[in-house]
Order: sequence, then structure tokens, then C-alpha cells
Amino acid sequence: MRTKLAAILNLTEDAERLQPLTEQRPVASLPFGCRYRLIDFPFSSLYNAEVISAALFISGSGHSLYDHIRSGSTWGLDSPIGGGVFTHSHIEWKWEIAKRENIDVTYYDNHRGYVERANTDHVLITGSGILCNVNLDSVIQYHETKGNPITALFKNVTRASLPEETNVLRYVVNSGQAENVTKVESMNEVPMDAPKVAAGMDMVLMDTEFFLEYLDYADENMKEVSAATAVAYALKQDVLISAYEYTGYMKSIEDIQTYYEANMDMLDENNFNSLFYRNEPVVTRTRHGAPTYYGATSNVTNSQLASDCEVYGNVKNSLIFRKSKIAEGATVSDSVLMQGAEIGKDVVLKHVIFDKKVRVEDGVHLEGTPDNPIVIKKNTVITKENVKENVQ
Amino acid sequence: MKTETLAMVLAGGQGSRLGKLTKQIAKPAVPFGGKYRIIDFALSNCANSGIMNVGVVTQYQPQALNDHVGDGKSWGLNRHKGGATILQPYASVDGEKWFKGTAHAIYQNIDFIDRHNPDYVLILSGDHIYKMDYSKMIDFHKETAASLTVGVIPVPWDEASRFGIMNTDLTNRIIEFEEKPKEPKSNLASMGIYVFNWARLRQYLVDNQAKDRTMLDFGHDVIPAYLRNSEKMFAYSFEGYWKDVGTLESLWTANMELIDPTHELNIRDRDWRIYSRNPDTPPQFLTKDADVVNSTITDGCYVAGEVDHSILSYNVRVGKGSVVKDSFIMPNVTIGSNVRVEHAIIGEDAKIYDGAEIIGKEDEIAVLGYEEEIGGRKDED
Repeated sequence: MRTKLAAILNLTEDAERLQPLTEQRPVASLPFGCRYRLIDFPFSSLYNAEVISAALFISGSGHSLYDHIRSGSTWGLDSPIGGGVFTHSHIEWKWEIAKRENIDVTYYDNHRGYVERANTDHVLITGSGILCNVNLDSVIQYHETKGNPITALFKNVTRASLPEETNVLRYVVNSGQAENVTKVESMNEVPMDAPKVAAGMDMVLMDTEFFLEYLDYADENMKEVSAATAVAYALKQDVLISAYEYTGYMKSIEDIQTYYEANMDMLDENNFNSLFYRNEPVVTRTRHGAPTYYGATSNVTNSQLASDCEVYGNVKNSLIFRKSKIAEGATVSDSVLMQGAEIGKDVVLKHVIFDKKVRVEDGVHLEGTPDNPIVIKKNTVITKENVKENVQ
Repeated sequence: MKTETLAMVLAGGQGSRLGKLTKQIAKPAVPFGGKYRIIDFALSNCANSGIMNVGVVTQYQPQALNDHVGDGKSWGLNRHKGGATILQPYASVDGEKWFKGTAHAIYQNIDFIDRHNPDYVLILSGDHIYKMDYSKMIDFHKETAASLTVGVIPVPWDEASRFGIMNTDLTNRIIEFEEKPKEPKSNLASMGIYVFNWARLRQYLVDNQAKDRTMLDFGHDVIPAYLRNSEKMFAYSFEGYWKDVGTLESLWTANMELIDPTHELNIRDRDWRIYSRNPDTPPQFLTKDADVVNSTITDGCYVAGEVDHSILSYNVRVGKGSVVKDSFIMPNVTIGSNVRVEHAIIGEDAKIYDGAEIIGKEDEIAVLGYEEEIGGRKDED
């Protein structure tokens, strides 16, 4: 069975600045937007293009990711004919050992094996830290029209929409008839007030033949297989890189602030519609649960909620994930409460991010600031007595 | 293959009293409670009772129902042993196998049932709203060594004459069955739930087929024949919420009752979940103009108006200045701006344009059919 592309998901994003949300999970499985995880976005792009397999390279154990992905059937990745999610975990640890013991890393063979078996014309390399909803069919079409062996995706953004210190790369794109990436620079050099700059989206589409050449090079030079090193290789070889401009919603999630902003961005209808209400739906593993109940005393405005919640209090400018309960008299504003939050009576929360299953006892007040939201770890119980310890 | 209990869900009925809501789809497929369809209750009860072999008998307008049930995956019924199987009438060398009644539907599927070779066949109706542990009824059936156990529910005496009533002796043995008696002697109404010893029922159906072919309906034909032959029949009394949503008013009432999280049906109970096919839609969005109280809302909704004591199913839009009160809105309904909806059931995919009104009364529910449109086409966007 012929399929369009082989997908390599490089899920080794730096999670340090997203602590404590990434204590037990990679960036790829960060919950987002009331009912999603970041991996859902690249997976949905694959689903909408009817791609049937993907290889995942994960730095840690990937436990939370596997729990979410299961067989991959949600995204049509479980076809008995050529389909599958091929997972490779503990990448960094295996790499360390290989270096120390001076043995070959299986890392490159894993890539080669997957791509050769997939037997597709194209290979996609992407991460999951850049939130976007890409139409891969359109990228493939562009790639074929341009006829270069590699196409890199970018979006024109304001410099201020990215964190001051960012992993996003700046692409220099020569505009005109042939749009190509001619140079890659660090974004950190670009002044924060720059109104328009081409931001690389950590996503490239390559001809399989060219990918295999690049893989040999990466293998010989012990380079990570990523969009960044693929683009660098192409530049080094003087291969033309087609530049595909993405115009939908995009946010690079690199630290707590950008994570918070991305969630809050969804309360702007333009962003919400741009990410979710396109021809290409965002698909996630659905869960059983009753519809959300709004009690007589509830007052909910400018907010998004997932199903299976019960709301008796006030919610404003917030995102509430599944199975949360907000008691009468409580006020939650400008906050992100992940699955299973239990908010007691007369609690006041403002500018907070709760990881899963945080319980707040009656009467507690907890307020962060827009530039410094308070993050509470999974399973924390906040009482009037311990509230100060939790604000650090 | 050996199965102890095989469930057969009778889902072929039209439910003509639901008017335009059952014109294109069978009653068990009618949307309910924001994200369910009526048949979800029987299927979830099966799964929760550990009965994993389920035949779903469809006939009238089966498409929506067949799509919904699929291979039973949503209810965890897609096991490698057993699972959900859709049974539709088919043609064979014996002629076309249309179902002329509840018992006849079972007779026509005798080959399917024989393949499972069950000890017991649990007959269920796909159009009731309730949560019931069938395994307890089957235990009761075994304890009494009955040939047939009928699920009954006590109904108010003044309503008993509307039901099929089972008269029992002190041991709960059924001694008489009266269909809609003028002067009921008991208030135990049949729920249309039966546990049969398969071998015996099979014999009755096959023998009758060889004779006059009159054994078409369980209530009308099979139970009287069992009584005549002194088969051991017991009534199993169910206590709890049970609703036959056969009319528009009862469908509306059952939905309104479901809103209250303290209601005895307890749809939010995590130990006895009602499963359904889950729509994959973005979260619900309540805008700065939203005013929602006493209501349940499902994912994919966009609310910029007022919603009071109502159910919004998935993917419903309520525009600015609109008021939805005491109503059940089915999936994918678009309600424009400055619309008033009161005491109404709005069918799937219906469109209510700006400024339109649909106002019913508590005893006269207003209904907009599936894909129906009302009001001028003046969409804000």
C-alpha cells in the first residue's frame, strides 16, 4: 500500500523551563486547550493527510505519551497494512551509554529502518513544541511544485510573540519568485521590537532519497535527526530549500509563560477558530463523561470548559479541563485548571495554572500575575495553612 | 462457542408517537441528554452488567442506529470473544425475513442465537431510559429455576391500566398477565425485559412456526402460551428510575430531569457510566455575553446568549441576545441572534435564524424536526 509520507516525530524538546508541568511528562504530552495534548496537533496533521504511520523518538520513558496514544487508532495510525506508531524511548540515555561504551547507537538504524519500510516518496520531520495546525497535503503539493528536495515551514511573526530566549530559529527567506530559505540564524539576536520575522516551525518535508543522504551525514557526525539539522545540512550542501509559509495560529511553547499565553490565546475567537475550526479538525482520544453542568449559582463568561465538569461558582477568562468542580462562591479568573481540579467554596484564583487533580480547600486565595502565573503541581492539596508554601 | 447469556436488544421499533423525531430514524437512535442516544442506556447496562454478547435487532430506518452502534467499541463490546452484532432483516431461500413482532424478531435470528448457544437469552428493548444491573436479574432467574423471568416495575396504581400488568403470587411467580387492564389487580408493569431459557423458548418458537405461525409478540403470544402450559415464570422487580420516552412530552421530561446532578438516574455516576460514541469536538466556549444556569452543555458548543434549564448537545451555537429556556437542543443545531426557544425540542442539524421564536408549553412541547429551518436567513456572520 502506497502512502504519502513517513513521519518522524522528534519529541526531545527541552522541558526544563516548563517545570514543574514537565516533571512527569515530555513537552509532547502537555495538556492544552481543555481537552488536548500537544502531540494531538502533529498527529491530527497526519490524520487529516491520511498518513498511516509515525516513528516517535522520545527522551524519557514516554509513559504518559503512550497512555494517550495507545494503538494510535484515534489518528488512523493502526492500520494492519503498513500502519503503526513505532516508538523509541530513552533516546538521550541510550546515546550517553553508546558514547561511553563506544558502541554504535541504534538511533540512526531506527530511523533508516522505519523510513525504508514505510517506502514513501517523502519524509516529514517535526517536533511537538510548536503549536499549529498544518495541512500536510498542501505542504506536499507545494513541495512537489517547487521541486526542491527539502521544504521548510515558517511563519511570519512579531519577535515579541516569542520568548526573549527562544529555541525557534530565524529563517532568512528570499522573497520573490522562488521562496527559499537562504540562511538560518538564532532568533535571540533579533530585537524584541522587530515587527516581522520568519520563524522556523521545526518542521521539514524531504524527498526520501535526500533524507537518506542526510541521515548518513547525521550518523557520521553524531547529529540529532531534527528539522534544524536537516536544514543546516541542506544549506551546507548548497541544496535549495523551499520555504512554505504557514498562516494559521502558531505558538512556540517553551516555558511557563508561553504555555500560559497559548492557552489564553484560545479565548480570542480568531485564534480558537484558526486552530480548531478549520477544514482539518484536531483529533484527540475521546473520553466518556457526562456533559458539563452549570448550576443555578454559576456565572461563567469568556471561558472554555471540557465535559464532565460541575460549576456552581464564577469563572472568567479561564480554561477548565475535564472532571473539574468549582463550588459556589468561588471565583476563578485568568487561569488554566487541568483535569480533575476541585475548587472549594469562596476560593479566589487568579492567574494560576493547576496541573491535574489539584484540590483547593474552602476560602483559599491564590493570585499570580499575568507575567508570572502561579503553577501548582499535580495532586497538590492547597489549604489556608499551606497556601504560602505553594506560592514560590 | 458457548455463551451463558446472550442479550438481544430490540431496536427495530418506529416510535411513531415521537412524530417527526422518528420519521427518519428509529426511536432508539433519537438523541438524548446532550451526548447520548436512547439505546446507549440498554447497551451500557449490558456492558456494566458484564454481558458482552449483544445482538442489536434493527429494522425501521436503521442507518443512524447502525452507524451509532458500529462494532460496539464505544461500549467496550468489541471483544475478540463476543461483541455487538447488528441484526437486520435479510432475504434467504425461505423468503424475506422481516420482523412482524418482538418474538418473531427473535425467531428470525435463531441461527445467530444458535451460533452463541446460550443458556439464557436476555431480551431488552432499546428505547428505555434506566440503569439496571441485568446480572442480578439473571441470578434471580437461576435461583428460582424459572423458564422465564419478566422484569417488572411498580407503577402508580392510577396509571397501571396503561401497562401490561403481571399478577403474581406470594413467591413472585406470575399467575396471570393482563394487557392494559381496566381494573388492575397489581401494579407491577412489564418493562419489556425478559430472561428466557433459550432451549425452551426456541422449542416454542420452532414448534409454532411449524403450526399456525401466530407466535409473533412476547406479551401478546408467548407469555399467554407459557401461562397455558404452566411454565415457571417469575417477576423480577426493578426499583429505580425507568422511563419509556415514547411521547414528545415524556422525552422532554426525561431530558429535563437529567439536568439536575442530584436526580436519581445519576448520569454522572462513574461506577455505572452511560457510554456513547464520543464526538471529537473542541471545548465548549462561553463568550463574555453568555449567561448559563441550571443547564448542561456539551463540547463543541458556542454560547453567546442566555441558556436556562436546558440541554445543549454537542456542536450547538447560540447567538447573542438569544434565550433558550426549558428546552432540549439536539446536536449540531444553530441558533442565531435574538432567538427565543422555550419548552421545545430542537432536532439535530436544525437551524433557527435571527429573531425567530419557537415557544411551546409544558404540556405541549414545541418541536423542530431534524435539519428543519425556521426564520429568515439573516445570519450575523
